[in-house]
Order: sequence, then C-alpha cells, then structure tokens
Amino acid sequence: MIHAALSSSGAQVILAASSDENYPPENIIDGNTESFWISTGMFPQEFIVRFSEAVKMSLITIHSYNVKNLRIEKNTSSDATDFELITQKEFEHTDGHLQENDFQLSATTATHLRFIITSGYDHFVSVHSVTVQ
Amino acid sequence: MVKLRAKCILVGDASVGKSALSQMFRSDGAHFQKNYSMTAGVELVVKSVSIPDSGDSVELFIFDSAGKDTFLDACEKLWGQPSVLCVVFDWGQPSVLCVVFDVSSEVSFRSCALWLDRVRAHCQGLQLPGVLVGNKSDLSSRREVEMAMAQEWAQSQGLEYHETSAKEMENCEAPFLSLAQAFYTLYQDRIQTIQTLA
Ligand SMILES: Nc1nc2c(ncn2[C@@H]2O[C@H](COP(=O)(O)OP(=O)(O)OP(=O)(O)O)[C@@H](O)[C@H]2O)c(=O)[nH]1
Ligand SMILES: [Mg+2]
Repeated sequence: MIHAALSSSGAQVILAASSDENYPPENIIDGNTESFWISTGMFPQEFIVRFSEAVKMSLITIHSYNVKNLRIEKNTSSDATDFELITQKEFEHTDGHLQENDFQLSATTATHLRFIITSGYDHFVSVHSVTVQ
Repeated sequence: MVKLRAKCILVGDASVGKSALSQMFRSDGAHFQKNYSMTAGVELVVKSVSIPDSGDSVELFIFDSAGKDTFLDACEKLWGQPSVLCVVFDWGQPSVLCVVFDVSSEVSFRSCALWLDRVRAHCQGLQLPGVLVGNKSDLSSRREVEMAMAQEWAQSQGLEYHETSAKEMENCEAPFLSLAQAFYTLYQDRIQTIQTLA
C-alpha cells in the first residue's frame, strides 16, 4: 500500500527511543506500509516527526502492529520541546494483519509530532506508517 | 547490530541468594557478599550480554526484588505497568523472569509457584521467557531439593532449570545468558511474523 510519503515533503524522524539498523525509524514515513520500524524492548517507546514547516492537519493515520496505548503530542516551535497532548487511544489487538487507526483532529497546526507508545500487546511493537492530511 | 532491552524480574523467597547472584553476574564474579543484607523493595542491576555470533546484544535491567512479604506491594508496583513510585523504574511490563530458590530449603522451592503466579499476573497474556534457579548448590550435605524434581517442575512450567552457587562462583552467568538468548530469539521470531503481514 502506498501513501503520500511524509519524507518526500521534507519531514524527518528526529528521535526514536530504540532502533535496529535494519528497521530504522525513517521507514515510518517512507509512504510504504511494508517497511517498518520495530521497538527493541521495554516501554514506553517514542519517536518524533519533524516537518519542514508548520503543517495543518485534521487526520493522522497510523499503521502498526501490537501497539496498545498511544499518545500523540505536538508543538509549533522550531525545536523538539514543549509538547502538548493532542490525542490518545487504546488500539485494538489484531492478529495476522496490521492495525490501522485514524485520529480525527479539529484542525491543528504542528511543526513536530511526538508519538509515545506506553504499552504493547507484545514485547516488541512495529510502526509501518504515519500519514497526515 | 541491534541492542535489545529486557526488563528481568528476579524473585524468590528471602535469603535464597537473589542479590548474591545478580551481584556476581554484574561484577563478573568479583563480588560475593558473605553477610546477608536484606533487599528492601527493588534494587536495579543493569548489564549487557552479547549474543554469540551475531554482533547483537541484550541489555538486561534486572529488578532484584525483596523476598520478604513486607515489601511485596512495593515490588509488585515496580514489576507491573509504568509505576508512579519512581521514575527511574518506569518501564512497563516484564520482559523475562528469573525465579530463585535455595536447594537446601524445600520451603523456598515450594514458594516458586507463588512467585511465578505473582509475576505472571502482571503480564496480561504476554509470553514471558523464564528460568528457575536452584542456588547454593555448594551446600550439598544440606540439600533438600533434588535436581530431578526441580527440573521436572521447571519443565512443567515452561522454565529452563539452572543450578548455581554464588558462593563458589558456579554457573552464575548461565541463567542470565539463557534469558537474554530467549528474548533475542523472541525478537527474531517477531520480525519474521511482522514481515509476513505488510
Ligand atoms: N552457601 C551459599 N550461600 C549463599 C549463596 N548465595 C548467597 N548466599 C548467602 O545467602 C545469604 C542471602 O543472600 P542474598 O543474596 O542477600 O539473598 P536474597 O535472596 O537477595 O534475600 P532478600 O533480599 O532478603 O530477598 C547471604 O548471607 C549470602 O552470602 C550460595 O550460593 N551458597
Ligand atoms: Mg536481596
């Protein structure tokens, strides 16, 4: 499945709490749900997406596996500080296929999005894509 | 090259040698505490284990827990979900489990079932690699728990059995190495599964 890749618009993943070089966090925003980032043990886990400029969004879509609780925070500053919570959710467990979750937002502007996975259905969780609209 | 991180819960009755084992492991056998000093709450021991022939490693965050009942509540908070007690210990669910008894104390062996239940109650269906450790194997004349019996029970619970003597520096690393390896294997299994999904 191909989504508009955040990376092609200049977005970057600037921090991930854990990483396996074979499954780097860049895979989250390459527009391809086949490639993924996987956590390497223990919770919480987090990653931060930085946009090249302030972006307006009303929908965030996440493809993942075995994620249980996720919080999304944002900021509008040029560095990755002073985040505020915008939404959180407990995902349903899926077996044999990816989790797909939408977060409807009342029009929000952000320069960074911070994703914090506070628990999982397994020791290891994967995130395959994050897209915003 | 990947470095995994595992939260290792170390439990068992008071004075079976949990702290002795984790300290021997941490110090590569350089430090055996002869005088008993009771653990109150949880002591954290962190050590990295290399996985042979891979370049990968597993960093074990060992939660050396108090055996005495008085501290049980405090310990359980730290094993379970992200805790409010202390930020340093805020790491969510257990990854692997090490249950210890003293081979010269049948009572401590009988307690293992209870310790296992207590920790598993925090795992919400999570697969938890575990080992059973019979420590103080040097006390052979006072042995109350036969190896075969311990082995059989361990197997029935899906645990790997190890005998150690922290005092004689016998085999102290083995339980931790096997937990690290089991966690690593689990990681590789999960990657395989996930690759088939997308
Ligand atoms: N003979 C012998 N004594 C041991 C061995 N391991 C530990 N001990 C002794 O047993 C006593 C208790 O050891 P600890 O490691 O403090 O026991 P613990 O399980 O951490 O106890 P709590 O913290 O109260 O739960 C100490 O006096 C140790 O020196 C061993 O392998 N052989
Ligand atoms: Mg102790």
